[in-house]
Amino acid sequence: MKITGLGYLIKEGFKNVWHNRIMSIASVCVLVSCLVLTGSAVLFSRNVAQVVDSVSDSNETTFYIKENLSRVEAVYIGRDIAKVKNVADVEYYSKDEAIKKYKKTLGEDIFQRMADDNPLPDAYIVTMKDLSKYDSTVENILKIEGVKKVASRRETAKKLTKINDLVQTMSLWVVVALTIISLFIISNTIRATMHSRRFEISIMKSVGATNHFVRIPFVVEGMTLGFIAAVISTVAMFFLYDGVMSIITNVIPFTSIPIMDVIFYVAGAFVVSGMFIGALSGVISLRKYLKKEGNEILGW
Amino acid sequence: MDNIIEFKNVSKTYPSGTHALNNASLEIEKGEFVFIVGASGAGKSTFLKLIMHEEIPSRGTIMVNGVNVTNLKRRKVPYLRRNMGIVFQDFRLIDKMTVYDNVAFAMRAIGSSPSAVRKRVPYILKLVGLSGKGNRRPSELSGGEQQRVSLARALVNNPAIIIADEPTGNIDPEMSFEIIELLSEINAQGTTILVVTHEHDLVRHFNKRVIEIEKGRVISDTKHNAEDLYAVTTALETEMPDIDEIVESVVSGDTAEFEPIKEAAAEDTQELPKEGN
Repeated sequence: MKITGLGYLIKEGFKNVWHNRIMSIASVCVLVSCLVLTGSAVLFSRNVAQVVDSVSDSNETTFYIKENLSRVEAVYIGRDIAKVKNVADVEYYSKDEAIKKYKKTLGEDIFQRMADDNPLPDAYIVTMKDLSKYDSTVENILKIEGVKKVASRRETAKKLTKINDLVQTMSLWVVVALTIISLFIISNTIRATMHSRRFEISIMKSVGATNHFVRIPFVVEGMTLGFIAAVISTVAMFFLYDGVMSIITNVIPFTSIPIMDVIFYVAGAFVVSGMFIGALSGVISLRKYLKKEGNEILGW
Repeated sequence: MDNIIEFKNVSKTYPSGTHALNNASLEIEKGEFVFIVGASGAGKSTFLKLIMHEEIPSRGTIMVNGVNVTNLKRRKVPYLRRNMGIVFQDFRLIDKMTVYDNVAFAMRAIGSSPSAVRKRVPYILKLVGLSGKGNRRPSELSGGEQQRVSLARALVNNPAIIIADEPTGNIDPEMSFEIIELLSEINAQGTTILVVTHEHDLVRHFNKRVIEIEKGRVISDTKHNAEDLYAVTTALETEMPDIDEIVESVVSGDTAEFEPIKEAAAEDTQELPKEGN
């Protein structure tokens, strides 16, 4: 196939986007929501993975003890914990200390009202000898009378992983649905262009243009829409991520992945997938048309 | 001489059940100028569609330029069509493009280089007598001029065959003669010309081969039987009364002499089989 006449047809594709701007805007919007949602899901899970990684080697597990226990009872519980196999060190962590620490990380205001009525339980912080026996050790400690529940960053990590899995599954379906909707809307947009250009298509076919050639302007149109959506999505992701992360890290202190570390990968992935979906829409929307001949194309 | 188009016992039945062509056979040699005539619904447009491979025959064999195109693979169809230039009755020009771009479009659509387009288009526009009108829009031109643009577009890729489907149907009679004249000149350069027409004046004026199709069959061909020419033109005269003459006589109030023709035409219309599309 000679490619010398391509320039003209590619230009036509760009023109289509502008000619059909209302539908183009609709297509871009749907594709943007699809990309931003996918991007958010991926960045969310990357962050969770990072947290899970960073806490997996953290060797401090907090065990809360029942409320309203006397000081002596609490000390006995501490001794019992120390006797459990694999426990290297036990340290008492009172609810007053706990609230002080929270105040430090989260700010005074939230805890002002709680000063008199501290809802936090007293706790022991346990260090283990061998982290690979974590689960069985936790189980043994929980058997001790007076120990209420375990709270470690490891436990948080476990919960996070569970939430992450759920979010992943849900977003997978939403993304699949949105991708299909994007394909549908973009191919409809292109079909609208095609309708207004059916005359040209019929002439192209009558002079012997190959199907590849007839497709070019429409595939270019789809790819242009995809590219525009990718650029908008990247900018949106940038600000959205920054905003959301500053809120989240305020509530749950953790080191999030800096946006500048990932934005280029995000942009690249957006451009590739956006343009791919756009091109695919162009091909899909033309399939039926290309089978038609002569006056059928014009609907006569 | 080689045949450029060859139909062997070709039949075409549409899904609707219409028998558009019925065991039709004919041969057209390279460099011939042929008029195809026949009432509407006779099978002329099916004949053209089969040549262009817009339809495939139900039975029989079609050869174009020595190649059997009866069951041509779909991806080869474009290359078959590059042998042909099509001229439509309704011109099919794109009005948002200039005359130049309309002609250039046919070249660009098959991947010609911009330099080839720049060389070829002005030459073709000059050939059809439209030099200096390249920057106009088709709608700014007269019907005859628009048909010249359409002809220029058909010619620009240097096809072996020009297929003109009622090329004079939408333009006034004087212009019609000019268009056929132009086609004759192109024919003199060696291009095969196929003109489907209703207009007996044209057919009579230009002494060319005439193939008449009726009810899906080739009923006469002046190439094989010279007397057919007389038969064909006479048949056309009764079938297709000159609309301008009728209008003129109606306007002048003198309709008496056309009554028999109008009656004959009315009867003919009733007898015509419906076309399938």
